[in-house]
Amino acid sequence: MTKHSTLSRAEGWRRRAPLLPALLFTILVTQVPFLLTVYYSTHSWNLVRPGSWEFVGLQNYLYVFRDSQFREVAMNTVILIVGTVLISALLGLGLALLLNRSFRGRGVVRTLLITPFLITPVAGALLWKTAMFDPVFGIVNFVLQPFGVGNFAWVSQFPLATVMVDLIWRWTPFMMLLILAGLQSMPEDVLEAGRVDGAGPIALFRELTLPHLRRFIELGVVLGAIYLVNTFGAIYMMTSGGPGVESANLPFYIYQRAFLGFEVGQAAAMGVVTVAATIVIAMLALRLIFKSFMGAQEAA
Amino acid sequence: MATIAYQTASCLYEGAANPAVDRLTLEVDDGEFIVLVGPSGSGKSTALRMLAGLEDIDEGNITINGKDMVGVPSKDRDIAMVFQNYALYPSMTVAENMGFALKMRGVPAGERRRQVEQAAELLDLSDFLDRKPAKLSGGQRQRVAMGRAIVREPQVFCMDEPLSNLDAKLRVQTRTQIAALQRRLGTTTVYVTHDQVEAMTMGDRVAVLKDGKLQQFAAPTELYDAPVNAFVAGFIGSPAMNLVPALVTSEGVQLGESTLPLERDRLAALHRQELSSVTVGLRPEQLEVVPAGQGIDVRIDLVEELGSESYVHAHLVDDRGGASTRLVARSHRRAPGRLGETIGLRHGAGSVHVFHPDTGARIDGEEMSARVGTGV
Ligand SMILES: Nc1ncnc2c1ncn2[C@@H]1O[C@H](COP(=O)(O)OP(=O)(O)OP(=O)(O)O)[C@@H](O)[C@H]1O
Ligand SMILES: [Mg+2]
Repeated sequence: MTKHSTLSRAEGWRRRAPLLPALLFTILVTQVPFLLTVYYSTHSWNLVRPGSWEFVGLQNYLYVFRDSQFREVAMNTVILIVGTVLISALLGLGLALLLNRSFRGRGVVRTLLITPFLITPVAGALLWKTAMFDPVFGIVNFVLQPFGVGNFAWVSQFPLATVMVDLIWRWTPFMMLLILAGLQSMPEDVLEAGRVDGAGPIALFRELTLPHLRRFIELGVVLGAIYLVNTFGAIYMMTSGGPGVESANLPFYIYQRAFLGFEVGQAAAMGVVTVAATIVIAMLALRLIFKSFMGAQEAA
Repeated sequence: MATIAYQTASCLYEGAANPAVDRLTLEVDDGEFIVLVGPSGSGKSTALRMLAGLEDIDEGNITINGKDMVGVPSKDRDIAMVFQNYALYPSMTVAENMGFALKMRGVPAGERRRQVEQAAELLDLSDFLDRKPAKLSGGQRQRVAMGRAIVREPQVFCMDEPLSNLDAKLRVQTRTQIAALQRRLGTTTVYVTHDQVEAMTMGDRVAVLKDGKLQQFAAPTELYDAPVNAFVAGFIGSPAMNLVPALVTSEGVQLGESTLPLERDRLAALHRQELSSVTVGLRPEQLEVVPAGQGIDVRIDLVEELGSESYVHAHLVDDRGGASTRLVARSHRRAPGRLGETIGLRHGAGSVHVFHPDTGARIDGEEMSARVGTGV
């Protein structure tokens, strides 16, 4: 028995060997930079002031928590994520319900609805900024003209909201697809049982369809949130975080601090705080998903 | 309490060439338990779903208590349905499942709980009321599905093969429970099954369907004793009735070397229809095993021992109708013969059934046809 297990240990390493390069690579490009970031975050280091390298302990962190701009940006990040995810989940639910019934040309409509998700984020953002929201030749103002809207500068008046519009436009198809998959896995006979039991369309939706869709919506919300944490392209293209930091989120603000302000130490401390917060939230969220998917929801 | 009437009701699925249910006419009395039976694809489920409002009635109509049901949505028909896969609501507990219809009807929570507990008591489900369906065994799920139906006290129960997912023993047990429950509640019930034993044991009357068409609608014993055609004859009874081609002679019909005598008026009917050959139906228990030479000589292909009795599968030795004429006989003795052995089979009690060789319709003498009212 012992002989067998030593043999299988060697065998185990032999089998794992081909994966090692990938593992090393992953450690090299994720864990090493993170450790370096932690290291930098304990130093005061400004790239444009030569000789500014100095160990400061946790001072950068104190600075981060005292920085009112950091707090505003953190708030922006939360609004951006929560608002985008919730609105796109709602829109996705509506579209999925429409797509779940059969009509002529359903395949074409479905493909068209998915396209925003397939367009490069930067291109999409540019499209919204210029083709849609431009004060002079944007389509939005053109459409709203009859209602007395003149050359309204949407992006500079509502910077965060316009960024969110772009993100919602991109994430609604994702939510729609997930929820549509949920709808199509809804057992037909359960709905029929509901109908025979006296439920009208609204009661059927509320009592049977929505509970079934819950896990799909949760999955969409969590996955969407994870991706939206590091939104960068849309903000960079549409508002550059401005005016001030009104439409900046954490990654963008950190980028500004590190590469425009050259405050490496402070930016590193912000990065560490962001990563820590993200990990905590992501863990809670992932646990929620696993619970609802593993939980014995399924009846045979 | 309700009467049900199908009046030449048809259902044609989109894209299908033939209607799944073809001009079905049935009248079900108040409190009656009727069974729809037939082979797979014969339209049993469709007929039931038309009654429940889950399929359109494309032609004709269905009435409940004389009220026309065409265009009435399921939720307004006051029907409870038990589905083959139970279709329990996965996100609700057993109690919520059973109380769902009451909730939809606006019954207050306390009253709902009381009725659910009462039904749970009846079905031995009291310990499971707070569990989700996924954590129940197959038999318990089946009982929850039944409970969901009886809590409502509906006008009609519809059941579509509710026992087909249970193991053989539980099925027999549940079969008697359902029948007893229905007698006790007195609710008109339409029950679909492909299992003719269920049909025979549970139904007050049984409707046999084939290709969407009603073949016969009668009490189980009548189906067994006087099937209206060869299809019903072969479908009802296990093992199936022997249906063999035979020549018509002046005294009766000829099977192998021997002649089975027929009454004079049936012979007259055969001659009137100018038939030279017919399909003869003999139930396995109508054939006695006797020593070779004393009856129809057959060679044994297989002996099925069931313990209390045995079935002998055999083929005619001197076969004029082709080598494929097979017969099954029931014997009360064990091991009535060995494989390959030649034995005799003699027609014992009960008269033989005679069917038209092409249409399969039953052929009776005047006297008989007057006595047996066909259900079609
Ligand atoms: N949704 C549907 N669309 C088209 N054809 C259907 C549909 N459902 C059933 N059919 C057809 O209608 C006929 C009757 O089907 P039905 O389900 O009523 O049969 P059944 O007697 O219940 O059979 P089983 O014993 O296998 O359940 C079959 O030929 C089937 O192929
Ligand atoms: Mg069926």
